[in-house]
Amino acid sequence: MSEMSKAVSTENLNEYKGRSLAQETWRRLLKNKGAVVGMIFMVLLLILALSGDFLYDYDTEIIGMNMSEARLAPSAEHFFGTDQLGRDVFSRIVYGTRYSLIIGVGSVAVGLIVGLITGSLAGFYGGMWDQLVMRANDILYSIPNIMLAVVIVQVLGTSVLSLVIALSISSATSFAKITRAAVMTIRGQEYVESAYAMGLPTWKIILRHIIPNCLSPIIVQVTLAIGSNIIAASSLSFLGVGVPIPTPEWGTMLSDGRQFIRSEPWMCVFPGIAIMLTVLALNLMGDGLRDALDPKLKR
Amino acid sequence: MSENILEIKDLVVHFETDDGCVKAINGLTLSVGKEKTLGLVGETGAGKTTTALSILNLVPSPPGVIKGGSIELDGKDVLQMSDKELEHMRGNDVAMIFQDPMTALNPVLTVGEQIAESIMLHEHIPMKDAFERAKEMLKMVGIAEGRAYDYPHQFSGGMRQRVVIAIALACQPNFLIADEPTTALDVTIQAQVLDLMKDLINKNHMSMLLITHDLGVVAEVCNDVAVMYAGRIVEIGTTDEVFNSTRHPYTEGLFDSLPNLKEQGEELVPIKGMMPDPMRLPEGCTFAPRCPYATEACTQTVPELRQVGGTHYVACHAYDDPSFRLRRNANG
Repeated sequence: MSEMSKAVSTENLNEYKGRSLAQETWRRLLKNKGAVVGMIFMVLLLILALSGDFLYDYDTEIIGMNMSEARLAPSAEHFFGTDQLGRDVFSRIVYGTRYSLIIGVGSVAVGLIVGLITGSLAGFYGGMWDQLVMRANDILYSIPNIMLAVVIVQVLGTSVLSLVIALSISSATSFAKITRAAVMTIRGQEYVESAYAMGLPTWKIILRHIIPNCLSPIIVQVTLAIGSNIIAASSLSFLGVGVPIPTPEWGTMLSDGRQFIRSEPWMCVFPGIAIMLTVLALNLMGDGLRDALDPKLKR
Repeated sequence: MSENILEIKDLVVHFETDDGCVKAINGLTLSVGKEKTLGLVGETGAGKTTTALSILNLVPSPPGVIKGGSIELDGKDVLQMSDKELEHMRGNDVAMIFQDPMTALNPVLTVGEQIAESIMLHEHIPMKDAFERAKEMLKMVGIAEGRAYDYPHQFSGGMRQRVVIAIALACQPNFLIADEPTTALDVTIQAQVLDLMKDLINKNHMSMLLITHDLGVVAEVCNDVAVMYAGRIVEIGTTDEVFNSTRHPYTEGLFDSLPNLKEQGEELVPIKGMMPDPMRLPEGCTFAPRCPYATEACTQTVPELRQVGGTHYVACHAYDDPSFRLRRNANG
């Protein structure tokens, strides 16, 4: 009997390659063309963001003025033309990638941590915690995001860090709501009860059994929130309360170029396209993830 | 006294909701002997699961409140334990098998990890060693070791219930609570799982409280039977006593509503009426409104358990009259 089960076990090992939910999701994600295009684009952007410092010298090529080459149309030498101060728009867009990504990812990361903690406490304990967290959320929700961000940036001073903080607040509210809803459905599951019956302490149950099961909607929200936060950051920069000039942030560049939009439209068009493509790529990824994580669409 | 691993005395558990007080358990007394298996039988809503959760002191609170009574496990009162003692007791001394194997496993962890988790927690050994132990446990319940790396969705229902059993037995508890362990399985698998449980319990010298509404399961597995109705024990005794010399009208009703293979074509006799609403329990004997033998006295006072045989107890006023016999016994 024991010999038989041994034979079965080795056979099984070769036959079943245990496929985790993550692997399963990845496999399904790769089937989605839009998501693959989005992911490839995001990887390219990431490489650009990381290599900006090796490609260009910040002082001379990115913010250094060269009036003799001002407002040149796109050409082989300047792919995206030059701006009113003679700076190459292409290199500024490449260099600016990092700001958009840092602000987008950073604000979502901070918002995610805050939202995850407050949301899971509210969902798990309910009662007073729930009231406290959700009413605070309602208050923040009732103020337009951009208005709130403008006020916070004004108070903290214009910098990348204060932008991250300002945008993370609005992300935190949506993450808290999603986490709370997910935790409330998971905490009633039998395996949570069974974890209690095993003698696991509450914090371990939340960390190991509840949160991992809530991740699907949160992962989707992360990709979508990065996109919307990049737009929000650019809007703030456009309004002049974001990243200060001469930093090559895409929104700042848009704002700089808008007075020349009739005569030298490339100053606006290319940063605009950069923002659009980035957000589009993130949304494609988010939609793909949503489909891949939805058990009802399993094929 | 010391021969019993579990002693529940006069347990009262109520759920206090906004709509009113749900009286789930009303003075329940039962005991499980060492290395014995007690079957707890009753209709849906009789309070079986609440009893099980009370033993682990896991009654969801709020709204659940344990109003009174004591639950002694190996001589220690569960209701007086601190959180630390409770966490130590759960899984280590007492383990529970849940009803639905489809939802009792965490979908994002491999089954090996889930078995190892409990071992790691109670025996303070590193994950790697615990995982090896988990593989052994899987082998013990008849699943190939290599499948420890698989996720619950890759197992069938019967296999999952085996995994759940492996988790429960991982820390060698001496008392097992099985809450309808085979209800969600089809009959062929039921027999396999029951055999497996019986085997493991005998091998490891464990005691078990088996909660079920399937009298066939009880006959196969249990030494003793307790019949529960509306939060009280109405009849308790050895399986032989309860099955062959049934005393309580409710137990008789349960047997009458079972199909009988020997007398095919005979009509089933369901018990009249419904379980009483636990928010508005009737005065006196809670079974009286549905009882064919009920008399005036039944609606006055709650019957106490009385001895009718060696270890056979029944809570019924009808036995005030010494000549009283159930129809079932009168005919056969």
